Amino acid sequence: MRHATGAAGPTFKARTTGNGFGTAGFLTRGLLPFVMIACLSGGLFWFTAIYEGSLRDPRYLDGWLLAGGMGLQLFFHIGIKSGIFSPRSVLRWRTFHIVLGYLLIAAFVSHCDFSWPDTAFEWMLWIGFVLVTMSGAASAFFAWSMRSKLLADSSLSFERIPIRRAELERDVQAAIMADDPAHTALGLPPPPYDAWIADLYANQLREFLQGPRHALAHLIGSQRPLRHLIDEIDEVSRYVDARNRDKLGVIRDLVIEKDGLDFAHVHLGLSRGLMFLHVPITYALVVLTVAHVVIVYAFASGGW
Amino acid sequence: MPPAKTDKDVRPGARRDRIAQWFAVATVVCLAAILFGAAGLNILMPGPLASAHGGVEACSACHTNSGKTKLSWLHGLVAGDRAADSKACLTCHKMPETALNAHGAPADVLKESTVRLTKLAMEKTGAGSTGVQGLLSPMHVGDTRGPFCGTCHQEHQGAGFDLRTITNEQCQSCHALKFDHFDKDHPEFSNYPFETRTRIVFDHAGHFGKHYPETAKKEPDKRIPETCSSCHDSRGNKRIMAVAPFEKTCASCHADQITGKQRVSGPKGIAFLALPGLDLETLKKKNAAIGEWPDGSEATLTPFMKVMISRNDNGRGLLAALEGLNLQDLSQASDIQIKAVTDMVWEIKRLLNGLIAGKASDILADLNIVQGTKLSASLVGDLTASIPRDVLLGAQQQWLPNLGSEIANGPMARNAEVDSKQQDVPAPAATASEPDDKSDDSESADTAPPEDEKAEAKAERDPPACIMRVFGSCLVSKEQSTAANGADAPPILDETPDAKSRLLPADPFPQPMRAGLSDIPPPKPVELAANEAQSDELLFPTEDELRELKSRNARSARGQPGQSGAPAGAEAGEAKPVISIDSGVDPEAWADIGGWYRQDHTIFYRPTGHKDKFIYSWLFLTGPQAPKDSPAPVAAVFNSFTGKDAPGSCTKCHSVDEVRGKGRIVNFGPLTAASKAGRFTRFIHEPHLTIKDDRGCLTCHSLTKDRTYLKSYEQGEPKTFKSNFDPVKRDVCQTCHNSSKARQDCQNCHSYHVNGVATPAMQTKLPASVK
Repeated sequence: MRHATGAAGPTFKARTTGNGFGTAGFLTRGLLPFVMIACLSGGLFWFTAIYEGSLRDPRYLDGWLLAGGMGLQLFFHIGIKSGIFSPRSVLRWRTFHIVLGYLLIAAFVSHCDFSWPDTAFEWMLWIGFVLVTMSGAASAFFAWSMRSKLLADSSLSFERIPIRRAELERDVQAAIMADDPAHTALGLPPPPYDAWIADLYANQLREFLQGPRHALAHLIGSQRPLRHLIDEIDEVSRYVDARNRDKLGVIRDLVIEKDGLDFAHVHLGLSRGLMFLHVPITYALVVLTVAHVVIVYAFASGGW
Repeated sequence: MPPAKTDKDVRPGARRDRIAQWFAVATVVCLAAILFGAAGLNILMPGPLASAHGGVEACSACHTNSGKTKLSWLHGLVAGDRAADSKACLTCHKMPETALNAHGAPADVLKESTVRLTKLAMEKTGAGSTGVQGLLSPMHVGDTRGPFCGTCHQEHQGAGFDLRTITNEQCQSCHALKFDHFDKDHPEFSNYPFETRTRIVFDHAGHFGKHYPETAKKEPDKRIPETCSSCHDSRGNKRIMAVAPFEKTCASCHADQITGKQRVSGPKGIAFLALPGLDLETLKKKNAAIGEWPDGSEATLTPFMKVMISRNDNGRGLLAALEGLNLQDLSQASDIQIKAVTDMVWEIKRLLNGLIAGKASDILADLNIVQGTKLSASLVGDLTASIPRDVLLGAQQQWLPNLGSEIANGPMARNAEVDSKQQDVPAPAATASEPDDKSDDSESADTAPPEDEKAEAKAERDPPACIMRVFGSCLVSKEQSTAANGADAPPILDETPDAKSRLLPADPFPQPMRAGLSDIPPPKPVELAANEAQSDELLFPTEDELRELKSRNARSARGQPGQSGAPAGAEAGEAKPVISIDSGVDPEAWADIGGWYRQDHTIFYRPTGHKDKFIYSWLFLTGPQAPKDSPAPVAAVFNSFTGKDAPGSCTKCHSVDEVRGKGRIVNFGPLTAASKAGRFTRFIHEPHLTIKDDRGCLTCHSLTKDRTYLKSYEQGEPKTFKSNFDPVKRDVCQTCHNSSKARQDCQNCHSYHVNGVATPAMQTKLPASVK
């Protein structure tokens, strides 16, 4: 059995404390990207202001920065689709894709001159960019959140979750049904506390293991449903012998893993759903951007 | 059986990608539908226009390449004239030809300014953002091309957007010298505001320290300015401290200098027309046929006459030939010069005759003062100060009483006659041109023509010169009169238009001038024979009368009262009408309020006061044609008005600028905001008037002891100037204009469009008349 040993404790603890790296690690790996993005954004704003003070239209500067960044993002998408990236470089490109996306927010805000759009066409561009950015950012957040809170294999895909869930259900059933070899050899009747475990399964665990559960709780980051199940299991554990206590420990680990799968199901599902918004709107945004550039240069009056 | 799924379908995200592709296609379709379905191209606008441009409907009005069809705006993608759209701005906003230069300033001004600022920039390096900006926008000396209109005036920012908004950094982006704030690194003012001298020459230090105290001491009742605002105010134009009108400021002390009342020596008027004094003796010896010319004239050819004579090539050649020649001493003159003097005499006669017979405006309108430009009637009126015809007529009658017949016969005819007939009539005393030693009767008889021809010749012969005039009639000797007109021939008043131009001695007044004289019997010709006994004709003067007449004539020649000549009858004690009023007032004194007067052999004009149109118009017209040291006659006219003791004393206060290629310009007009066009710095006095401290205007304008102020005006370059006041210090401005008090942005004191931008009125055709 994969989770026969008592690994439930550390797993549960890890889920409740976050991604697992310490303060120094948080500063270097967690905060640093945001500091870097903030610095680059601030630098872009400053340079744009200087550029504007040079009697040059900064909208051409940040506009081309924005268009160039969008081109790189699109290249990532094309690269993924065409399979030109190795699995390792895909991970790096994905990271770059996300970081660049945050930087493009700064370029976009600068390009809008920190103001709302004026015309319908500008609103179309604005809404398109905002939707693409928000969907991408939310998707990245869910992916990051899943990886940081769930000590699961980061390669776990959305498609494998139902399979793994079924495996877990079978494992739990197997654990419950497993007989005591000594009792079986002696022909003794089953101890009463076996029935207690069976009741626990029938009343609490079976329904939990049959499909994705507690989606809303996972969405808001609540572990209350899991804690309730664990409490139930721990309550029974106090009244059983050592052998059954081990059995309940195995069940406990499997329940925690199932909860993790539910968590992954919710986040990966949302992430995939957001991609249905992110990619099509990106395509539309590319069309609008090309039209925007053509119009701008057709009506340019020498300001650039 | 359902179709088998392909690899494409089973690939992760395949469905999502198909949706995305449809999204892209739908976007293209929607955009095309919107573009072609919309009424105009406004869908492509990046934002509403500014309020001032709200009436512009067609994109092509400003975006010259855009066209008017749905897709013609794509032409804008093709490279063309990048300044085309800026030029479109200039169709409504009128600017000089240098509009697209930096600051709209001429290239030489920009170059000079750039060199100066680059030199300053070398001394310091830009800090902070200005340093980076310097890297982004390096300045090149000599690069005069300015930004396009749209670079600074960015449209489509909304109706309430101020298109003139520009930041300090944008202002400095082109400048070699960059700094962050006015109160921090702005360079010291070089010589502000005295880069150009003041238009009015006013020595503040001299007046404050000398003239005012002395005047107050001598004439306590005279109004002496007490404060700066006695003469300066900014109510008319807030940008300048205008000087109050002459009448309120300078007139109390200087008005009489203009009219000449305070003049101690020299004529108080301006010699306009004169019969120059000639060496008649030499001319007579050399048989120069100048005809009648007064003896005793000491006048010289006036600059105005030179201008009038030089209105054609012949006149210019004539003046060139007379250059350097002393007309009153022609003993050393060559025959060519004598010929030139003769021609000049006749040119003057023709000029005088033309001014009388024709209209002064006809003569002066042909003057070649303004190259190729016909003078307007009003300008001619100013140039002549509307000189009355009677002034000219009176002069002619006194100086050249036979001018009409001389002009009618012409110098050539007369000379021919003299040559052929050997001048059988003795020349008058005042005539030098006619040999009087060949009036031999026999010789005359030998060469005498037939009677009819002789009579005609006599009729055309010049009448003899007057001994004196009596009410326009000419007193001549009996022989002369007989020779000229026949023994008893009455005065002829030819009424033909041609003959009207001739001023016949017997009746010199044209018909209109005879009004009021109907009761006066027409004067009869008087024969004067000094050696004969008095005749029984009443009008022939006795010897005593003749002496008296001669003495009066002599007084008249000296310009004394009674110059017009006393009537012979009055002297004879007869009951004759009063034809002259004896006056003890000198003609020059008579004209003390200004105007025309005649003295000796010159017609003068005396300035009427400040803003005299005669002087103004001549200076205004001749200045641009009169560069310094120019030998042209117009320059002589200009110099006659701008000399140190010139009548009118205009340029004592009004400075004269010498502009290369544009001659000289007298700064008559007051300082105006328009005259400050082209300046990079703008200062408005009015907001500062209430915050001055106890020192008042001296807070900024401290008087200097330097006495070289007046020397600045001895030359023509207005930029060479030493003021009575110290330049304004930057520190004075910085006491208020700093980060904690008043504005210190560039545009507070500097304008980009130094020559301004004008928006002319729309061209509206008059509505058709209502039927």
